[in-house]
Amino acid sequence: MPGITTILISIIAISIVLIAIIVFRPSITATRGGKVLAFVALLVFPVLAGGMGVSEQMEHSKTTGFCLSCHVMEDYGKSLHIDDRSFIPAVHFQNGMVPREQACFTCHTNYTMYGDLRAKLRGLRHVYAQYLGTVSQPIKLYTPYNNRECLHCHLGSRSFEEGATHNQDPQTLPKLKANQLSCTTSECHNLVHNVSQLKDAKLWQEAGK
Amino acid sequence: MKNTPRLEKRLRISGSLIIAGLLVELVTLRWSHPTAFLFFLLLGGALMAGGILLYLYSLVSSDRTEADGAGTTD
Repeated sequence: MPGITTILISIIAISIVLIAIIVFRPSITATRGGKVLAFVALLVFPVLAGGMGVSEQMEHSKTTGFCLSCHVMEDYGKSLHIDDRSFIPAVHFQNGMVPREQACFTCHTNYTMYGDLRAKLRGLRHVYAQYLGTVSQPIKLYTPYNNRECLHCHLGSRSFEEGATHNQDPQTLPKLKANQLSCTTSECHNLVHNVSQLKDAKLWQEAGK
Repeated sequence: MKNTPRLEKRLRISGSLIIAGLLVELVTLRWSHPTAFLFFLLLGGALMAGGILLYLYSLVSSDRTEADGAGTTD
């Protein structure tokens, strides 16, 4: 079965051929068949191609390669390969706890209604900062990291619910779940990308790469 | 009937704009980079939207001119 990209390319190619007929022989639109052809070629197919194109671009923008294609993100990509289990993104990436081809997006989207859209709007802000503004060094999140993004996967899992540290104080779990106690800044899982430590870090080499 | 060349001209421009937009879409489809996303959205989107709107306008304006012409004849 052909993929969405193949179908989209076919639709674009067919649209171009049909539109070219109208551009070179616009007089054919005087007939009923010509009018139908113009309607399909100049409205139906372009709207279909545009809609599918938006969907494809959104899928592209979720890939790790897309995020790391900007120079400023290179070190953050390398930090996924730090050979140290205490680095949260690295351990998630290397152990397949997040899909590797969508590693950035999986942790940096918002798991809310319209969360993907919000993530994409933030992405447009990144592009603006890259070309017209200034990129802060090191890169900082716009808002503190919300536990909701961690709990999307970890909530209900045995290691999270029954973990010794999480249950030492009976208030810890409720506070984590209510985002009153941060997973990443409460001195528990505070080693995230930490690109400043990258120079001295040993990097994991993925087998076959 | 004197509006026919104008209608044909509008259809030509509309078609050319949409083809340009589709070509931008085709190029950006094979290029996975934030700049491609922007090109697709701003350039491709604007060209296609412009072409489609011009086509719709040409339909409406040609209908109106035909109706006006019919009224004059009667």
